[in-house]
Amino acid sequence: MAKAIKISKNVQEGLFDFLKSLLEKEKISGVFTLKKMDDNGAVSYSLITSPDEFKNAVPLYPFMPVNAGKALSSFTLLGKTEEPIVAVLRPCELRAFVELVKRAQGDIENFLIISPTCGGVLSLNLMGDKNQDKMVSQYWISVKNAEISPDTRETCQFCENFLPLNADITVGTLGNKNLDKEFTLFLNSPKGEEFAKEASGSSVSEEIETKEINELKKKREELREKYFKETGKEGEGLKSLINTFASCLGCHGCSHVCPICYCTLCEFDSKTHEYQAASLSSDLKKKGGLKVPTGNLLFHIGRMTHMAVSCVSCGMCSDVCPVNIPVATVFSKVGSSLQEEFKYFPGKDIEEPAPQGTYKEDEFMKIGEQ
Amino acid sequence: MNDKYTPNIIGFLCNWCSYTGADLAGTSRMKIPPSLKTIRVMCSGRIDPLFVLKAFIKGADGVMMMGCHPGDCHYQKGNYNTRRRFVMLNSIFDILGLEKKRIGLWWVSASEATRFAQVTNEYNKEMEKLGPNPTAKEIFL
Amino acid sequence: MNNNQKETKSNPKKGKTLPAEKSIKDAVLNIFKKALADNIVDAVLIPAKVPDTDAYSWILLQDESLFDIADPLPPVMNVQGGRALSSFSKNGELDLKIAALMRPCEVRAAVELLKLHQVDLDNVTLVSIDCPGAMPLRDYMNDPKKINDSFKKISEQWEISESLRPACQNCHRFSLMDGTGSDLHIGLLGENKKVTLISNSSTGRDVMDKLGFEPKDSLDKWKATKEKLVKEKSKKRESFLKEWQEKIKKTDGFFNELNKCINCHNCMNACPICYCQQCYFDSQTINFKPETYLQKSKEKGALRFPLNTLLFHVGRMSHMVLSCVACGACEDACPVSVPVGRLFSMVGDQTQKEFDYIPGLNREDALPLQDFKKDEFCEVETPNECEEKVTEEAK
Repeated sequence: MAKAIKISKNVQEGLFDFLKSLLEKEKISGVFTLKKMDDNGAVSYSLITSPDEFKNAVPLYPFMPVNAGKALSSFTLLGKTEEPIVAVLRPCELRAFVELVKRAQGDIENFLIISPTCGGVLSLNLMGDKNQDKMVSQYWISVKNAEISPDTRETCQFCENFLPLNADITVGTLGNKNLDKEFTLFLNSPKGEEFAKEASGSSVSEEIETKEINELKKKREELREKYFKETGKEGEGLKSLINTFASCLGCHGCSHVCPICYCTLCEFDSKTHEYQAASLSSDLKKKGGLKVPTGNLLFHIGRMTHMAVSCVSCGMCSDVCPVNIPVATVFSKVGSSLQEEFKYFPGKDIEEPAPQGTYKEDEFMKIGEQ
Repeated sequence: MNDKYTPNIIGFLCNWCSYTGADLAGTSRMKIPPSLKTIRVMCSGRIDPLFVLKAFIKGADGVMMMGCHPGDCHYQKGNYNTRRRFVMLNSIFDILGLEKKRIGLWWVSASEATRFAQVTNEYNKEMEKLGPNPTAKEIFL
Repeated sequence: MNNNQKETKSNPKKGKTLPAEKSIKDAVLNIFKKALADNIVDAVLIPAKVPDTDAYSWILLQDESLFDIADPLPPVMNVQGGRALSSFSKNGELDLKIAALMRPCEVRAAVELLKLHQVDLDNVTLVSIDCPGAMPLRDYMNDPKKINDSFKKISEQWEISESLRPACQNCHRFSLMDGTGSDLHIGLLGENKKVTLISNSSTGRDVMDKLGFEPKDSLDKWKATKEKLVKEKSKKRESFLKEWQEKIKKTDGFFNELNKCINCHNCMNACPICYCQQCYFDSQTINFKPETYLQKSKEKGALRFPLNTLLFHVGRMSHMVLSCVACGACEDACPVSVPVGRLFSMVGDQTQKEFDYIPGLNREDALPLQDFKKDEFCEVETPNECEEKVTEEAK
């Protein structure tokens, strides 16, 4: 049982009011959350400091135009924020931020982190769609019923890590059939408890992991197995990989939006991987033909060696891909396997170094001695 | 002309242990597969997983990483990192269904000439059995 | 930039008509098959369909059997041809002779890249082809069969269909232009079951001679059909430009088009002209301390993250719009359907007119910002020299 506050309002309204009052009462200097850009459905993350501008805030709106962890990293890259900021992040965005903080790419101090039990986000190509409002309504119905929402990202549909870790306050949404009238704020830390004093609600003691949430977890696990099986048929490795990435343009959009890929100049964008014209004759002689631009599979598998172990399965990569390659599913599959191998869970423990940066003397003892 | 298939094997050998061991095998007139192409690095910890990956993608039939036994690294800790990197590469090859037998890691010390010969000959035989790497002829990589 | 291009009269009187009994595709491929077989070229750069997939990709082929998967005019423009050519020819000189078949906008991009030293055209025979347009990339990936069928109909009829990419609907430079861009051109218009090979440079004429194709056939039908279609598409382009200029003139008209932008920079990465290894807008130059971000936010009450959406787009315009060939690769790559191709094309049109410059038309035309005349643009100066000149003349 966890310390919580039950608020007798619609969840979106209630959270909005809570954040607004924190801003008005100057308990915090700013709110980092989603904001409406126009009346056509466009939303964007924003650091909002004036209560007046806050009127367009839409925390928990089901879109992820950029992984907020990546945005917070750029905010705190050169140091921690001296003034308290509240940030509304989805569980995977929070995990991404923690992974970045581990790599000295950000600072988590002075943030009040609020994160929902997450029903996912809609695919980015639906932003601005004429049926957006309808889809958002459908989305909230799925959340209430703790069902998988069909318009959400593939990674969201099979996500089993949808309960936030390390958030100061968790907003209970999934499985709450009365979400239009009431919702619960779970207070996970002393900071959370302190700020929650501003929320007008009644103290309760509730379980985050309800029956509905566990059932949803099971459904998602089944879907996950199905997707992982379909991605790259077992035993047909190389061919399957080539086919999956056949239409890749080499735009590297996947890497650019990935929160873990933080390098200012990616190795694969650098001169190291540029093709040398002098190799052309011998390459053509060997193979009879050459796909250009070159280095397609080397980029993708290479990127896996760099970041897959920290992949938080947010799904930005798939959404941004111009040719619908299921990058996120492939990387999630590889990431899962690596995480199991190294017994590492990205974003869980901020003190735990990423696997590439450490070792144990007495691990994998059988390797190399064959 | 010998028509038998000769695998193209690349070996990344650390200077202080495995390369010296290879040298010893050579001076002791031990038989080593002639198709093994060795590349000397100062420490197996220098082996970027991308070296192995690129060699594989460019058509190498086998890629061997070799270094000092854990605890004996000339630079103390280098080979511990190598071990993790190999585990990661192996895991990636495994889950993607790529032929993971084509990459491997062996600890061979400076005095283990016999081990070097044994390991390389065995691996060469295995690569002969496995046949040519399909990436060598693949256009759409 | 040592291209031994001697300018030939680019208003050719005759061409070589080849039969296309089986299909246009086969007739076009046969030209390249012959060029390869007769050792006139060592390799051919051409789009191809990746076996067992619906994906299209550029290949540099040397083995004749690969012509089986080649397609001169695929339904989509996957990677911009200029970018593909630059990817393997910018580091070092090519020691092979290559024939490259590309759509006219891709040829124009390659010519602009030549001026930017990002491509080696010394050993390349650039071949353009009459282009019916291409279909939006995402539409194709969502339903390859449907889009393929649609494209077949559209391309056969040379229809200005609304299913085509917006860039293609508004394109009036889809055929051979009076310039030194390509070496050879393949005309598809005007003739039924025939294709016409037209030389546009001494290099091109050289290749035609080696192929044994003497240009003796009339180009009248091709020219007439081409001119008619160019007129039609120019009208369409004018109405597009007018429509969008009106759209942008409204308050916040331009800003609003960028509301959905997520700053992924896909547009820049797909653009053939944007070749910088590290774009200014991806660099650390625009990183600030947290206090600075907070201060910026307090100035207006809120600060959009990621920052610099407007700066990125207008900044990118200031960097490359003079060379924009309106290929639309940017719009194809955008994950949230920002009409970036149309915006850049519109701005490109206006700025290029200012300098009387058509990107990719002539290899000898210097890039506008790499050139100047002592007496020009006096109207932007203070004191305004133009006025003085007029008063001088009046005296």
